[in-house]
Amino acid sequence: MSEPVLVLRDLDWVRATRGGAFRLVIEELSLRRGEVLVVLGPNGAGKSTLLRALAGLEPAARAALDRRAAGATALVFQRPVTFAGTVAHNARAALLGSGAARGDVQRRVQTALERFEIAHLAPRRAATLSGGELRRLALARAFAQEPAVLLLDEPYDDLDTAGQAALTLDLRRVIAETGVAVALVTHELRRALLLADRIAALIAGRVRQQGPRAEVLARPNSTAVARLVGMDNLVLGTADADGFGQIDDAHRIPLAAPPRAGEEGWIGIRPEHLKLDVGRGEGELIGKGHVASLVDDGVTAHVGVAWAGLELRTHLLAGRGLARTLSVGDPVSLSVRPQCVHWIPVRRADAAGARR
Amino acid sequence: MTELPRAELLEITLRTLGVSGAALALALLSGLPLGIALGRRQFPGREAIVAIVNSGMGAPPVVVGLLAALLLWRSGPLGALGWMYTPTAMVAAQVVIALPLVVGIRLAAVGGLAEDWELQVRALGIPAHWRLWLLLREIRLGLLAAVIAALGGILSEVGAVMMVGGNIAGETRVLTTAILMYTQMGAFEAALGLAAVLLGLMVVLAAALTAVQQSGRR
Repeated sequence: MSEPVLVLRDLDWVRATRGGAFRLVIEELSLRRGEVLVVLGPNGAGKSTLLRALAGLEPAARAALDRRAAGATALVFQRPVTFAGTVAHNARAALLGSGAARGDVQRRVQTALERFEIAHLAPRRAATLSGGELRRLALARAFAQEPAVLLLDEPYDDLDTAGQAALTLDLRRVIAETGVAVALVTHELRRALLLADRIAALIAGRVRQQGPRAEVLARPNSTAVARLVGMDNLVLGTADADGFGQIDDAHRIPLAAPPRAGEEGWIGIRPEHLKLDVGRGEGELIGKGHVASLVDDGVTAHVGVAWAGLELRTHLLAGRGLARTLSVGDPVSLSVRPQCVHWIPVRRADAAGARR
Repeated sequence: MTELPRAELLEITLRTLGVSGAALALALLSGLPLGIALGRRQFPGREAIVAIVNSGMGAPPVVVGLLAALLLWRSGPLGALGWMYTPTAMVAAQVVIALPLVVGIRLAAVGGLAEDWELQVRALGIPAHWRLWLLLREIRLGLLAAVIAALGGILSEVGAVMMVGGNIAGETRVLTTAILMYTQMGAFEAALGLAAVLLGLMVVLAAALTAVQQSGRR
């Protein structure tokens, strides 16, 4: 792991809002050189507030900030704010009063515009840009400051899939080239995963879990985090003596690391780990069900399977194999590899502030 | 019918420009911080001030003149200043007329900025004086609209300058008061000459300001 560039520690900050008061409590959150931390949280979790605190824009939260590196902290808003004038003027505005020499300003602005592939737009008025170009301008303006820390608020908002992919590639390249430490906030898991090295789950003003991306995705520490990171299948069960989670008399799910028999817990399975077959599936068969719902968006077929009185969710690649012939009501078999089954003990399932 | 001597016409025109120019400058200077504060900050009493500004935008100059005269009258609260029937009093009255226009239009211009505008500027770490520069640049269309509206208002008003200036020849006579006086005297030729100058001034100034404003759009 690279060295931390910015650390937010022991923040306990109550902020007056229109609806009352909002409390943001962060034990520790560190941004590391060349690394992307994605703060994932539902609307109203305090993501934008956290970003403003990290940017040093909230005087009440400044004491908790520990800057370990020289260099600016750049914040790119969800809706890019531009200034009247040309694209070049907008990029230059980031260096107003910075004391940089004229030639240096010119070089930094040019480099930043080139990095985000908008150098050809330099003489255009910012007001005439498209949504995607505006976002690139906001990013170029941020990078003209040669920041040590980059804070991104929902950077993929209003971009289509192709625009998101293009921006992801550019951001990855620029982050690798500059070594900037990045914090990105979003409420959407799919967008979070485009760049995340680490994930922090922010729920109701508290970081409920943070860690390397694979770990948070595979082993959420509570049902709230599990839902946030897309572990859609959560079933309440009791561990039995054979290493299974017993759902009811007729249904059980194999566990890779079974807890003590009799313990109650939530069994979590990511949709992509739940295998669907008309015959005998790979992994360990957990039973038979039938297709309860089917939504095909042309890329992914989202299948709901009725099983043990519940509806489990799984994905298929649209237009391929089973997805072509499947229809609602079809009998199917469900299987899962035990190492893909996650157990969340009930006693800590929703314990606030649980951290690894 | 008498025609006005050229020297007198020039003198009256210059005084008009001097009085209204000074009033405009003072209104712009004092209206800047007020307009920005009202547009960007929330504080107790803000709405009351905005209401006063909005109603002030339509205040009849003659009423402003009456109140100014009451204040500046020799026995009035500000009588000791000795401003009554001087250009200073005329400037003061015109500042009161222009200020709500300047503040009101600026307030609208500043309020029209994106909610995150100031946060973005602060996030970029731009120092305060450059932030003000960016802000003025951002609202320059509204700023020029304020100048055009205020200048039109005070150049053409006759009530206030008549009441606190008194239309004294060589001292407080301006274009509007002179037009009024010559019309009452039946000296229509002189009045028409003055009116032509006043209209000409308005057209030239408005055209110049509009040219500046529209060039800013590109």
